[in-house]
Amino acid sequence: MEIAKFKAAKRVPGGQHANQRLRQSGELPAVIYGHKEAPEHVSLPLREIEKCLAQAQHVLELDIDGAAKTFLLKDVQYDHLYRTPIHVDLMRVDRNERVHVKVPVHLIGTPKGLAGGGELLTLMTELDVEAPLLAIPDEIRVQIGDLEINGHVYVKELTLPEGVTALASPDDAVCLVRTKKAAVEVAPVEGAVAEPEVIAKGKVEDGDAAAPEKK
Amino acid sequence: MATMPKRVKYRKQQKGRLRGNATSGNYVSYGEYGLQALEAGRVTAKHIEAGRVAAQHFLQREGRVFIRIFPHKSVSAKPLEVRMGTGKGEPAYWTAEVRPGTIMYEIGGVSAELAKSAFARIANKMPVRARMVMRKPSL
Repeated sequence: MEIAKFKAAKRVPGGQHANQRLRQSGELPAVIYGHKEAPEHVSLPLREIEKCLAQAQHVLELDIDGAAKTFLLKDVQYDHLYRTPIHVDLMRVDRNERVHVKVPVHLIGTPKGLAGGGELLTLMTELDVEAPLLAIPDEIRVQIGDLEINGHVYVKELTLPEGVTALASPDDAVCLVRTKKAAVEVAPVEGAVAEPEVIAKGKVEDGDAAAPEKK
Repeated sequence: MATMPKRVKYRKQQKGRLRGNATSGNYVSYGEYGLQALEAGRVTAKHIEAGRVAAQHFLQREGRVFIRIFPHKSVSAKPLEVRMGTGKGEPAYWTAEVRPGTIMYEIGGVSAELAKSAFARIANKMPVRARMVMRKPSL
């Protein structure tokens, strides 16, 4: 696993306009917390963070005022179009620390059961794991080629890299192959209620009764 | 079947204005791909149902289709050839109000190409411009 290294600058926390100005200059506001120390506010180069996110890197080494420290990317907020990051949360970590992260689950192969009229249901697209900071896996690969109809892959059956433990329940299913269900045609019910029930019905009736009296 | 709330406090609502961008419901949460609204508008219960039928018909029951919006708002209308006045019309249909960024549908368990084609069919039924987005990896 690669560790991204770049410079960060301390910043004075400002309001939305200060943050907008920061973003317009190609920087990204970020907060650092953890290890029971006071939170710090920094700005990071947006392009570097976008590169890290594209490569699903969890660990960063930031040079803040000449001191290099390691941080875990904890959270990212995106703009309303879910496109550009607008804020990042970083957590202080030691290099020999174990951390909780989510790792994508990658299913490999086509289950045998699909040929027999089954359908694959993916229940878990990412897995919560505890791993050493410097050995966070990029993805968990699961072979599903041998899955027959009604076959499951459970968390306990996954082959995890050394030192990595799953935090999900061992009996949770990652994926399964089930028989395709026939489409159910929903026939329109005769005399179906065309309007929702009104909670304040009593009040409405009172209002209707009082309405003719108005001039 | 078109959807609407089961119980409401009042049958008729004020029109309101649709300003700003989506601040919630704008992340892909359930499936792997989402259909995102790029402009504000009212998506009626009929639109939502038409989109669902189009997607499920195309996907042939492969994968799962998630509908992320619900028509909470009633829109009233007066019958044809009725003079103005004499109060507000009766509720005619129900709509979901979407803002730029709202994820309207999600699809999971299929390939990106299949999801893209399904979303193209849904987008044809929508009254707002939309695009496909992919889920961002969690941290």
